[in-house]
Amino acid sequence: MIRWSTSSSILHIIPESTSNITTTNSPHSQSMSSNSAAFPNRPSAFRSQSSRALSSGNDSSPPSTTKSSASMASSDNQSSFAVKAGLAQMLKGGVIMDVVNVEQARIAEEAGACAVMALERVPADIRAQGGVARMSDPSMIQDIMRAVTIPVMAKARIGHFVECQILQAIGVDYIDESEVLTPADPTNHVDKHQYNTPFVCGCRNLGEALRRISEGAAMIRTKGEAGTGDVVEAVRHMQTVNAEIARASSASDADLRRMARELECDLALLKETAKLKRLPVVNFAAGGIATPADAALMMQMGCDGVFVGSGIFKSGDPAKRAKAIVQATTHYNDPKVLAEVSIGLGEAIVGINCGNMGEGDKLSKRGW
Amino acid sequence: MTNLTVGVLALQGAFIEHLTLLRRAADDWLRQQQYEPSTATATTTTAPGSSPPGASPSSHASPHTDADRWNADADADADADADAHISTRKPNTDEEPTTITTTNLTHISHFTFLEIRTPPELARCDALILPGGESTSISLIAARTGLLEPLREFVKVARKPVWGTCAGLILLAESANETKATGQELIGGLDVRVQRNYFGRQVESFEAELQLPFLHDAHPFHSVFIRAPVVEKILSPTTASAGGVPSASDDDGTAPAPPTHMQCTKPQVEVLGRLPGRAKSLRDKTTTAEDLGEDGDIIAVRQGNVFGTAFHPELTGDGRIHRWWLGEVVKAKMEELKASQGA
Repeated sequence: MIRWSTSSSILHIIPESTSNITTTNSPHSQSMSSNSAAFPNRPSAFRSQSSRALSSGNDSSPPSTTKSSASMASSDNQSSFAVKAGLAQMLKGGVIMDVVNVEQARIAEEAGACAVMALERVPADIRAQGGVARMSDPSMIQDIMRAVTIPVMAKARIGHFVECQILQAIGVDYIDESEVLTPADPTNHVDKHQYNTPFVCGCRNLGEALRRISEGAAMIRTKGEAGTGDVVEAVRHMQTVNAEIARASSASDADLRRMARELECDLALLKETAKLKRLPVVNFAAGGIATPADAALMMQMGCDGVFVGSGIFKSGDPAKRAKAIVQATTHYNDPKVLAEVSIGLGEAIVGINCGNMGEGDKLSKRGW
Repeated sequence: MTNLTVGVLALQGAFIEHLTLLRRAADDWLRQQQYEPSTATATTTTAPGSSPPGASPSSHASPHTDADRWNADADADADADADAHISTRKPNTDEEPTTITTTNLTHISHFTFLEIRTPPELARCDALILPGGESTSISLIAARTGLLEPLREFVKVARKPVWGTCAGLILLAESANETKATGQELIGGLDVRVQRNYFGRQVESFEAELQLPFLHDAHPFHSVFIRAPVVEKILSPTTASAGGVPSASDDDGTAPAPPTHMQCTKPQVEVLGRLPGRAKSLRDKTTTAEDLGEDGDIIAVRQGNVFGTAFHPELTGDGRIHRWWLGEVVKAKMEELKASQGA
């Protein structure tokens, strides 16, 4: 349980006695494919994130004071981490779709997307057109926010904390500090604790994921390779994260300390991850998902949901494909449903083969 | 030896969290049965005479004991000469509460918890939770999976215990405001109108300490509200079953659940919890609803078999509401078994 304080933006963390969730096998984990062998004990909730994830030494703050007039009178209350991570938990099992205008946002909502990502150009176009990719025009994002009732996310450049301030000011529901846009800071990511709006960030491996979480990210997505329609990088990143979590779960305390140094991540967070046997926040897959089968593949590998970027609106029949991907994400373990929804979707995104791509062209290399 | 199967709708949203808390609640319940049968039943005994049969259903809105309320529902049904499920063989708790409930409760010896994605899976359930998530997504996926009608049947005809949190509450309402441009399919069951995203967007999401009288626990329930709805209005059952949302409000995105002939007379809507003061007041200053002369926004309701909360007990790690609800489900199952044995 994390509370906000008035005097500063530091989050107060209060260990909660009831927060220990038993990590019993859920049917979800039992039903996963062989890929989940490295990820056998998928816990059902990850409540303990909030008691440890962001240890800033404020554990002594008594809960009873948080409702005092002093703290509640503040106008700059910080949203608690539980509230930020909670929205991500509500998005689980869903599909978040990239949209560039109101019309696409409506198609996405009608298809059953659990949220939309508002951006000026989908990654495939950013890739094709080149140039500097920046935060979208706020008026475009606001139009989309007015047009749909589902949560609206928007992208800011890595390290561009002013773009983040703008996105928070117009009230987007989630900010994606995204490698798809051109990075603005060569060394640092945004200090995400400073914002009421929650953040989602990309990762290629466990170390990167935990660094983002310690910076305040309330949701993670594996990066994949955006705008390609090639799922191979998404699979690679999910496999890497899963394998590293499996390794951490069976490691001794000494091994974990060594591993934290090696992965360059916070030890407390790594221990938490090892205990939970999963990332301590919701983890979606992204980057290259183009078909219902791709979405189900990522779900069977243990992600909590999927982002689909260029894959939908760069295909022949966006509305139909969008619906099919939503159905496939829910019924990811039912090959009959998957077969049904994969029929007659028309042309998929043409795509770029990641194997033939120069390392320098990979967007996923951005961020650190 | 009776197995009780509880499902959690797993189309989208935070269903795994519910399953975790349900398992924990079931462990607690079974342990309590094993070691302290008297304690277990003590919570279900009623204060005799506190609500005489045939009293106006609205008098049950004040917090009585669990068993009392459950029976009150049965009374309301009996008065209306409707639904055989609950009313035909209601336990005579006024005479021998302890004996009857002890015998009944010890029947349940095993719980099964399921993720529900298809109609056959739903058919196995004695009770169901509709989790938090995006209500538009859940309702669209349910429609495409052929689950909407079976769900309506489950809630309104079979009248099995159902609990909706946040998005689940929206789906269980007979009417919802602020839905997407083309409206939204609802399941219905609660004669209330909810307003979606009542408190605003994500930056307005918050946590609050709630006093929930039905838990009989002075310790407040720490709750999380995420883009949460509230119960804006309690509808009269006749209005709702006529599909009667005033046409004027159709323009502002009000979606009604389809008018249904399935509905017979139902118990009244009980308000089980209020948020002390609007979120704005809560966040900005210490002002409470009492100061403003308001009752506070309605965030927990029950109508017969249907229970709804605007907040997310599944996000807090506090299993008290799950424990309470599971107790209600067990009672409902016992009623059903008795009814079928008696028939």
